[in-house]
Formats: sequence, C-alpha cells, structure tokens
Amino acid sequence: MEEEQGKVRALIEMATNSTEREVDPRLLKAIKSVVRYSDSELRLAAQTLMDLMKRDHSQVRYLTLLIIDELFMRSKIFRTLVVENLDQLLSLSVGFRRNLPLPGPPAIATILRSKAIEFLEKWNTSFGVHYRQIRLGFDYLKNTLRFQFPNLQANAARIQQERREREIKTKEILRNKFETLGQNLSTIKEEIQSTIDEIGECLDIIRAKEENMALAPLDDDDFEEFRSSELRQIRLDSLKEGEKVHENNDNTVVFDALRELYKLLMTKHMGSVQESISVLIRVEVPDNRLRDSMLKELIDIRNRLLSVKKKCEESGCALATNVKEEEEEDFWEEGKIGPAEKGSSSIPSKPKQKLQNLAVASTSGEIKNEQSDNNELGKTDSNSPRSKLLSEAPVVEWGSFLGNWGLDRDFMANQRGLELDNHWGRVDYDAVIPAEKIAELNLQATFYKEEPVEIQPCRAPLRKGGLCLRRDLKVCPFHGPIIPRDEEGNPINQKNPSSDENSIQKNPLIDNETSLDLGSDLSEQLAKQAIQNVRDREKEEGRKRKIDKQSLNRAKLAKVREHNEAVLRDAALASTSRSEAVEEGIDVTNGKKSSTRNKKTLASMLRNKVTTKDRLAQRLLNSRARDATTRQLTMGEEETYRENFPNQW
Amino acid sequence: MWKQIGGREAGQIRPNSFSNRVKSNRVSSLQLSNYKDIVSPHRGSINSLQVDLTEGRYLLSGASDASVAVYDVQRATDYDGSGLIATHKSIVVVDKQHEQGHKYAVSSAIWYPIDTGLFITGSYDHYVKVWDTNSTQVVMNFKMPGKVYRTAMSSLATSHMLIAAGTEDVQVRLCDIASGAFAHTLSGHRDGIMTVEWSTSNEWVLVTGGCDGAIRFWDIRRAGCFRVLDQSQSQLGRRPPLLERSALNKVSTSKSSSVGQNLYAKSRPLQRKSTNGNGIKQSPIGRTPTKASVRQRLHPGMLSGQDRATAHYGAVTGLKVTDDGMYLLSAGSDSRIRLWDVQSGCNTLVNFETVRLQTSKAIQLATSQDPALVFVPCMTAVKAFDVWSGKTRMAFRGHYEYVNCCWFSSQDQELYTGGSDRKIHAWSPSRLISDELDGEPMKDQDNWSD
Repeated sequence: MEEEQGKVRALIEMATNSTEREVDPRLLKAIKSVVRYSDSELRLAAQTLMDLMKRDHSQVRYLTLLIIDELFMRSKIFRTLVVENLDQLLSLSVGFRRNLPLPGPPAIATILRSKAIEFLEKWNTSFGVHYRQIRLGFDYLKNTLRFQFPNLQANAARIQQERREREIKTKEILRNKFETLGQNLSTIKEEIQSTIDEIGECLDIIRAKEENMALAPLDDDDFEEFRSSELRQIRLDSLKEGEKVHENNDNTVVFDALRELYKLLMTKHMGSVQESISVLIRVEVPDNRLRDSMLKELIDIRNRLLSVKKKCEESGCALATNVKEEEEEDFWEEGKIGPAEKGSSSIPSKPKQKLQNLAVASTSGEIKNEQSDNNELGKTDSNSPRSKLLSEAPVVEWGSFLGNWGLDRDFMANQRGLELDNHWGRVDYDAVIPAEKIAELNLQATFYKEEPVEIQPCRAPLRKGGLCLRRDLKVCPFHGPIIPRDEEGNPINQKNPSSDENSIQKNPLIDNETSLDLGSDLSEQLAKQAIQNVRDREKEEGRKRKIDKQSLNRAKLAKVREHNEAVLRDAALASTSRSEAVEEGIDVTNGKKSSTRNKKTLASMLRNKVTTKDRLAQRLLNSRARDATTRQLTMGEEETYRENFPNQW
Repeated sequence: MWKQIGGREAGQIRPNSFSNRVKSNRVSSLQLSNYKDIVSPHRGSINSLQVDLTEGRYLLSGASDASVAVYDVQRATDYDGSGLIATHKSIVVVDKQHEQGHKYAVSSAIWYPIDTGLFITGSYDHYVKVWDTNSTQVVMNFKMPGKVYRTAMSSLATSHMLIAAGTEDVQVRLCDIASGAFAHTLSGHRDGIMTVEWSTSNEWVLVTGGCDGAIRFWDIRRAGCFRVLDQSQSQLGRRPPLLERSALNKVSTSKSSSVGQNLYAKSRPLQRKSTNGNGIKQSPIGRTPTKASVRQRLHPGMLSGQDRATAHYGAVTGLKVTDDGMYLLSAGSDSRIRLWDVQSGCNTLVNFETVRLQTSKAIQLATSQDPALVFVPCMTAVKAFDVWSGKTRMAFRGHYEYVNCCWFSSQDQELYTGGSDRKIHAWSPSRLISDELDGEPMKDQDNWSD
C-alpha cells in the first residue's frame, strides 16, 4: 500500500517536471488509471496537485493545472476536494491577488492564466449547478474583476445557430422557387416550344431557298489533285463555306428573325431551364415524384434546346460570328453583354484620359516651373537648387568676356568684320586662336580689397565721466582688453570662464604696464591678483589631494575585488554540485557541466540569462581553481581579510 | 440520529437536550449552501447583516454603496438550474436613488427587535435613519456628529426604545425612537466608537468598544461608565475560582472601609442584577487585594489609572455578548479575540487561533449557543472557534475578498456572511440524502472515459 501511495505522487511529479507544453499522455494515462481505482490515491493526488500549484514556477503550475482539469472533469471526489480550496487554486493559477502574482517565466504565466480562466468557464458550465464555489469563483472573476472569459461554449453555440438559420433560409428560398417553378413550368414550356417552332420554320425557309439555288460545282473538286493536305483542307473549307447559305438581300429578313430567335433561345430560355434544373436538384421536398418528373421534363427540354442550337449553328452559320462568340461566352448569364460593351468602350477611353492627365501634368509642371522662375526672379527661395548654386557662385566683375562665358571653342582670328586684306600682305582667313589661348587671354586679375571692419570703442568708464572712446583692435592700452560693456561701461560677464581667466591673468600685466597712470586701480587689481593666486594654489593642492585619494580608493577597491574574487571562487567550489568532482579531475566536471547546460530544465526556464556569479564561477573553475591548493590559500587569505575588513562579507 | 429519535420516543432523552443534539449536529456540518443563493443587489462591500429576531426569516443587509436590502431567506423568489438552486432575490431595496436614502456607505443596518415593521440604518453620511419596512419610507432621522460606525438596539428592552449609535465622535449617543431626540450622551471614550452592543441579560447595560482600545460598560440609568475592561486583568478558566475569591472578598470588604460608602452603595444595584448572584466584583488573582478592591469601589471615571485601561492594543473592532449574557467576545485590530467574563470584567485568557483580522473596519461577530462557537471574519474566511478553548472548529472559505460581517441564525442553524466582494453567502447544514434524491435532472457523478 505504501508503495502504491507513493506511486501517484511520483507519477504526478514526473509529469509536471517537464518543459513541454503538454503533459506526457502516457504519464497522464497512468495517473488516471492509478487514481481511478483507489480513492485514497485520488485524495493523495489532489493534495499533491495542490502542493504543486504552490510551486514558484509557472511551468509546474501550468502542467499541474492541466492534470487537475483532467481529473476534475472525471472524478466527483476530486471535484469536491478541489472545490473546497477553489479560491486558493484560482489565486494560484489566475493570479488575481495583487500580493500573489504569478511566478516566472512570464510567457508561461500568461498561458497559465488564460488556461485557468478557460478551465474555470468549462467547469462552471458543466458542474456549476452542483458546486456553489465554482459559480462564485466564476462570478467573482467575471463580474467583480471583469476578467475576459473566452466564452467558448457560447461562441460555438452562436455560430452553430447562425449556420442553422442560414440553411433554413436557403431551404425556404429554394422551396419558394420550386413552387413558382411548378406554377410556371407549363408557360415556360409553351414559350420554348413556340420559339423552337419558329426557328424550325426559319430554317425550313432557308433550306428551301438553298435547294432552289444551283449547286453545280460540287463534284468538280474530286478530279483535281492537291499536292499538300493543307491546300486540300483550305479547299474543303472553302467548299463548305460555299455550301452554306449566305446572307443576301432576299433572305435578310429571315436571317434577322433567326438571329433574334437564337439569341432569345440562348439567353433567356437556356438560362431559365438551367436555373430551374439546379433548383430542382437542390430542393428538398416531401414529394419526390413530382420533382423527378419535372426534372426529367426539363432535361428533355434542355436537350432539345441544345439540338436546336446545334442545328442553328450548322445551318445558319451566317449568324454574325461576333454575336455568336459573345453568346458563347455569356452562356449562363444574360446581362453580361452590356457591361462587356461598356468595358470595351471604356478601355479606349482610358488611354485618352491618361494622355489628358499627362498633358495636364506636363502643363501644370510648366506652370509650376514658371511660377518658380517668377519666384526666383522676385526673391530667392532658400531651398531651391538655383539659390544654393547662387550662394556658391563666385562674384565676377562685368566684362566683355562674359559674353563667351563657358564657351569652349576656337576663335577665328581674322574674321572680325575688318577688311585686313592688302595692308599687311596675305591674310589667312582660316587662322584660329585655340581655346586654351582664349582662356588664357580671358584670365581675370583679381585685386585684394580690404573689408571694412568697424573697430569697437573701448567704452571703459573714465574717471572724469563718460566712456573711453579709444578704438583699439583688441587691447586698449589704458583699460585692458576690449570686452563687451553695457551703457555705463560695466563689463558684461562672459560665460566662458577660460576667457575670464585670461582676462584676469592679462589684467595685471596690463596693469603693471599702466600702473603709473592708474594707481588707484592698481591696488585693487593687485589684491585681486593675490586672492586669485592663493585660490589657484589651493585648488591645485585640492586636486592633488583628490588624485591621491582616488588612487588610494582604487587601491582599496582593487584589494576588495581581489578578496571578493577569492570568496566567489571559494563559494563556487563549495556550493556547486561539481565541487566534489573538482578533486577527481576537471575534465569530468566539464563534461557534466556541458551536459547540464545543454539540457533544458525548469530552473533554466526561470533563469533567463546566466548570472554574473555563474559566469565567474565557471571561469574560475576552468582557469585557476583546478588545484585545491588555491582554495586553501584563498581560505587563509579570506581569514586575514575578514580580520582586516569585517564589514565586507 | 435514529437512535436519538428512539431515545426521545422512549422518553429517555429530554426534549431540550434532543433538540440541542440535533442542532449541534447540524451546526457541525455547516458548509457553503449550494441550494440557497442570495442574490445581492449591492454594488459595494456588505457591512452589516442581520436576520430579524422575531420570525428569523428576513435578512437585512447594509452595504457601502449606501444601499440596504431585505431578503426572505425561507421562501425563494426563483429557482435556478432546473429547480436545484433556490435564489433569494431582495424583496426590499433602498439605495441612493431613493429620495430619502443615505448618501454614503451604510455601516450598520439592524432590525427593530420587536417586529419587522421597522429597521434602523446608520451611515457614513452622519445620519441614523429609522425606516418603515412596508412603505420603505424614513420615519425618523437622527443627525450624528460624525460617521456612524455601528448602531444597536436592545433585544430585551421593555421599558425603552433606544438606539445606541457609535460614531466617529467620542461620545456614544442614545437615540430615542419614541421622542425622536437624543436621550443620552455617554462620554468616556477617547476616540471614535467602532462597536456598540447591548447586554443580552440586562436591558440597561450597554457595552461599547472604541478606537482607543477600551471596552466600556454603561448603565444607562446613571451617568458615566461603570466598567472599563483591562486586558491585563485576567483570570484562568471560565469562572473565577471560588475559594480564593471568597477569601479575597473578605479582605477587600475589610479594607474598603476607607472608600466612601456612597460609592459602595452605588455599585449595589448592578451587583444585584447580575445573574451569578454573588455580590462583589472580582479582583484579579495574584494582585494585592486592597488596591484592586479600592479601584473597584471607586467610580471608574474618577480614577484615571483604571479609566485608561485598554482591552486591546489598537482599536476594538467587534463586540459580541453571548446569548446568555455572561461573556463578552471582543475583536481588536491587534488581531486578537478576547473572551471576557462580564461578571468579573476579567480577561479569561482564552487563546483564539486567529491568524489575522481586518484592522480598518468594524467587523461583526456571531455566536452560536450550543455548541458554543464564535464566528469571526478572518480576512477572506470566516472561522468558527470554540468559545471555551479557542480552537478552530471550522473555516468557511468562499469569499474572494475580506469578510466584514456574519450572522448566525440559531433558528435555522444557518450562517450568513457578507464580504467586500459584494456577495452574501448562506452556509447551511448539509442536506439529508432523501432531499437530494427527488428528481435531480443532472447527476453529478464520475465520468471516466478510459
């Protein structure tokens, strides 16, 4: 019995210790078969499952929930057991309590939640009547917490209902059609019969005329030999054509009538007959005999129609072919000719439109261009390429060479409208100045022009009132460097501290130079300088101290790091399962390690990435920690560090 | 069961004990009723539940959405699930839409103890209202100085019609329905009054518990409170040991000569009323009797040492006097339940195995006479403790949020609980098998496919 009792627990634990999306069906079956025959096993299973639901891993909870659902749908005792703690089960699977959120990994947690809600709905529909708790849980989640339930059952029922309604509707329509068909069948038949009769008469008339015509050259062909079968074929075709009655002035009326009738037959009657046949095939009526007889009649009619059609085509092939083609195309549908024509008419119109569009586009483009030109003439648009180029272009003074700007051709030397003949001897009219020469000649000399610079006045306040009006480029000999000043001559503080410093540093120099003139300023400046110097020195010292401190700190940190590393190494050696194997040999542990790393486990699902500690441990294990002596050494080290730095670890 | 009936037939078992046995049997099998569905119209947490004391048929509930509803718990309004589930819809609802309705949460709704023609509601909108049940109109309106936490009427009063109202204010007010005015204002508490409870053995004794942790006993015929319960004053066992007590009495009487005789006389009528019949109040065991007895003789309002005694650390959130009026159960925000001997005013040191109690709200306790159980809302569950041992007998889980109130109907042996999840649950004894068998359309049974 003891073994038996262990069995279901072991099975459940095995089934839930997996990373799959589904419970192993064999294990599930085993659990079910064990639980089915023993109530104590069932109780144990319920307890185990509830314990597993408390596990801090969504995957375990998910698989457990699947097993719970399986058993829940089957066993009454299990239901009563589970229902007692339904609120707990729901809080563990749905995670609706804020202080008890679902554990990681989050992806599976969401699946778990949706599955739990789905199951709750299922349970509610199948067992809600018997268990108040299920109703309450469902109601609470739905109405108080406003969880979205998948509503599977209701949805399926609704879809089923809709489909049924649609079927009923179509049946109704078919029955109506059948009834109207039953009423109209005789008239349709009559109409068709009359049309067929008319066609027959028309054909008869044509035939009669045909016979009247002489058919002399029928046999002439036979004696003639044809070299190729192709020619023979052509010949035969032409003969056949000859056989056929051609439309002429005499029989135009007949042909027209025939064409009309044919069209009527094909479009109207054929379509209606086909439709009614399909209606008859699909309709379901209690009295099948009537339907069958009607069907038979209709099929007969259709066959007759087809034969008449054939006859028409054979004899009256003079029916305009294009008409025929159209008719053949639109065998079942009547109203297609119109649209087709429309289409054909619209097709040629399209290119026209396009053309027009193009034209419009081009003209509009022109207009645009013009507009833009106008714009450029008026005021330059900063964005247009022209303005960009303009901004880059060099400014050249006007000269006659501008007339030949950019021309890269030779010039005729002696063709400038001057008659040079006889003055200087023979003139070579074809003499040419090469382009390079021309370019050389056109080379422009540029002159340096100084740009006018406005030198700012010093504007330092003067003792006698007013501002200093000296204009120096950079430094006023009396008031130091020229800096921006306000109306009263007070310097406006510059943001740049370096320039400030410069000015401060420069000031004394200038002051030294101008000390004779400005004694009162001197003392002030000297005092300032002294303070400045002292401050600078202090700053320097402070920086030095800081640097010292930093280096000290760094040393300290390095020490601590060293120490931490040692401790980590130690911890890695001590805590990991491989620690026993370390002594035996690193290869073994490595092998083990890789296998565990590759295998997907529940823990690995939770740990989304390898932690620093792991990595460190791994590295240390691989590199240095293979000898146990290190460990001992670090142990010793650690103790000393513990004494030295009691607060660190 | 059959044996007991046989014994009753043969006259071996007295009718009283027979009924008690059957009742206790039923109480011990209480569970969430699948056949009684009380459909709560409330849209907020249920704060108060009471079944009327005359017929035991109408359940009154007050909720924090300012609504009050009355249900008939004996006759269902509707049947659901092919006749299996009886749903009890509210027959009277008063909510915010009602022109005279409360504006804020109803904290307390109680029946007029004599009949079901009136009920009284207290609300956070500072009003206590008396309603006519049949016309659902307000017949009387009392404006309180602060939020009303709890109202109570004495179930055995024959000479007064007072509503005791505990409010945010430090004073307990007694509203007289007969005159429509405040009859008394009892001052003594140092903080708001969470719970008020009338004694079930004496129509003039009122017990109040405040946010200051004190439980005070008032005799409404006289000014001031006559007792403040002190958690450090304790006795072991249900009754104080007789021998020691008599010995102490002697000492105390001899030493109490120093105390004014008029005070002694003042405490007399109280002692005469007490059911136990022995005259003098208890002094704690193991203390110097002189001091204790002196303290007892003094008017408690005079001596600040006693006046500052507390029954709980933190607020007193729930009070319930047992049906015989001899014991008082109190719940505090320190998550403790204490059982007090009303006679001696001592803490009986029963350790109730509560885990946690709701601290911010007044909770409503319920007791059953036989077996002596106390039903306590412990967070999301209601737990039934044995009154004398403090052991957990049952735990009723079904609410999804905190349970605020419960009411035990001793007539039907049914428990009603209301919680913050807006639900009212009925917990009833499991049905007899014969009831279940009649024409159940959908059998709940095993369904093994493989």
